[in-house]
Amino acid sequence: MRAALAILRKDLRMEFRSKESILAMWIFSLLIFVIFNFTFEVSRLVMLEIAPGLLWVAFIFSGMFGLNHSFAVEKENGNLRSMALMPVDGGQIFLGKFLSVTLIMLMFEVLIFPIFVIFYDLQLSLQFFLLIPVVLAGTIGFTSLGTILSAVAVHTRNQQILLSLLLWPLVSPIVIWSVNLTSMVLIGEIVPSFYSLLTRIVAFDVIFFTLAYMLFDFILED
Amino acid sequence: MSIPALHLNKVSKDFGRIIALRNIDLDVEDGQFVSVLGRNGAGKTTLLNIICGVSKPSSGVVELFGSDPSDTINKSKLAVISHEMFLYSNLTAMENLEYYAKVYSIPNPAAKIESVLARVELTHRRFDLVGTFSRGMTQRLTIARALLHEPSLLLLDEPFTGLDQHAIGMLTSLLKEQKQMGRTILLTTHDLHIAKELSDRFVIIEKHKILHDGPMVDVTPDEIREKYFTA
Repeated sequence: MRAALAILRKDLRMEFRSKESILAMWIFSLLIFVIFNFTFEVSRLVMLEIAPGLLWVAFIFSGMFGLNHSFAVEKENGNLRSMALMPVDGGQIFLGKFLSVTLIMLMFEVLIFPIFVIFYDLQLSLQFFLLIPVVLAGTIGFTSLGTILSAVAVHTRNQQILLSLLLWPLVSPIVIWSVNLTSMVLIGEIVPSFYSLLTRIVAFDVIFFTLAYMLFDFILED
Repeated sequence: MSIPALHLNKVSKDFGRIIALRNIDLDVEDGQFVSVLGRNGAGKTTLLNIICGVSKPSSGVVELFGSDPSDTINKSKLAVISHEMFLYSNLTAMENLEYYAKVYSIPNPAAKIESVLARVELTHRRFDLVGTFSRGMTQRLTIARALLHEPSLLLLDEPFTGLDQHAIGMLTSLLKEQKQMGRTILLTTHDLHIAKELSDRFVIIEKHKILHDGPMVDVTPDEIREKYFTA
């Protein structure tokens, strides 16, 4: 656990110093919200149907940027090789990278959500607290898979393209279910399937995280 | 009979149809300083990658201190210095070393960091970002990073590349110091004078095989060059 925490601390320190990921993610999402808000003049009801998808488009595309950046930093100066030489198992390294990517993404999501609420004129209610487990579960699933696939893609020349190609087919069920759940919360219709869908995302999270933790040693090898 | 620090038996490595190493047999005793010489592309870096466990051989046996190189215990006994820094430009020298000290579970890290920084004459720059360092300073910090956990085996992959005379002198004296402390050292280099000055033994790799393996004593750099270039 010590190595994982050292990696987490190092990544957060570098991110807070440069603010490269958070700033780029925030600007990108802001652009999405501005463009869609001013392009479509639709009723509030239709907007409520579109908004969850837009929110997750912002989350996921910005998350892709965060993932690419997280491993690009490791590739620089041969640090990925130095990770392979560390006297810890690959799972610890995965855990450190996973925690840093997830925390940075969650911080960004907390920062961007108020902007989303303002742009789409959403009425805040207590029900919005149900978004917390939805966003947490969706983000963890995305970053579990994203962390290991970024480590695979970083060895290639077309890192960003390969990451998209590998990640999208696998992560799409989680994203679709997260959009559905977000939609239920925003519209205010929490049907019984809400909890079963949330459980399904959590189950996927557990599977992806466990696999990534166990397989990371092989990714670090040449 | 004592277990050698490094034991390679019939090690071969290929990348698809490209052969990188062929039937390498090499034993390095504890405390020995061995220079590996060879042209670019001869397989020196691949050999080091296999020894440190980041690359698996296609066939053959590799043992560090009697066990698999990828064992966690073995990894804590070894350090690699190459032309790659293994440092983060956006962290200070101190932060980089603190990070490695945590990962390698070094006891009393603050004192150890101070001592290695002083040894490479970088104490005055410890709070500066590595991105602002010159090539020579960066390489000195790389050496400090590698020595932080007091490794038993040092693998050096052309560490003198791009260094100025001052940095070469410092690295040479540091390596002599490490040798005196009984560390096992494997150095790949093109600099025959440095190889002659530091090593007990030299190995020439040519066309992915060991062409010569013998003691350094009584061999002049010219004689090495003769073997090296006629290889």
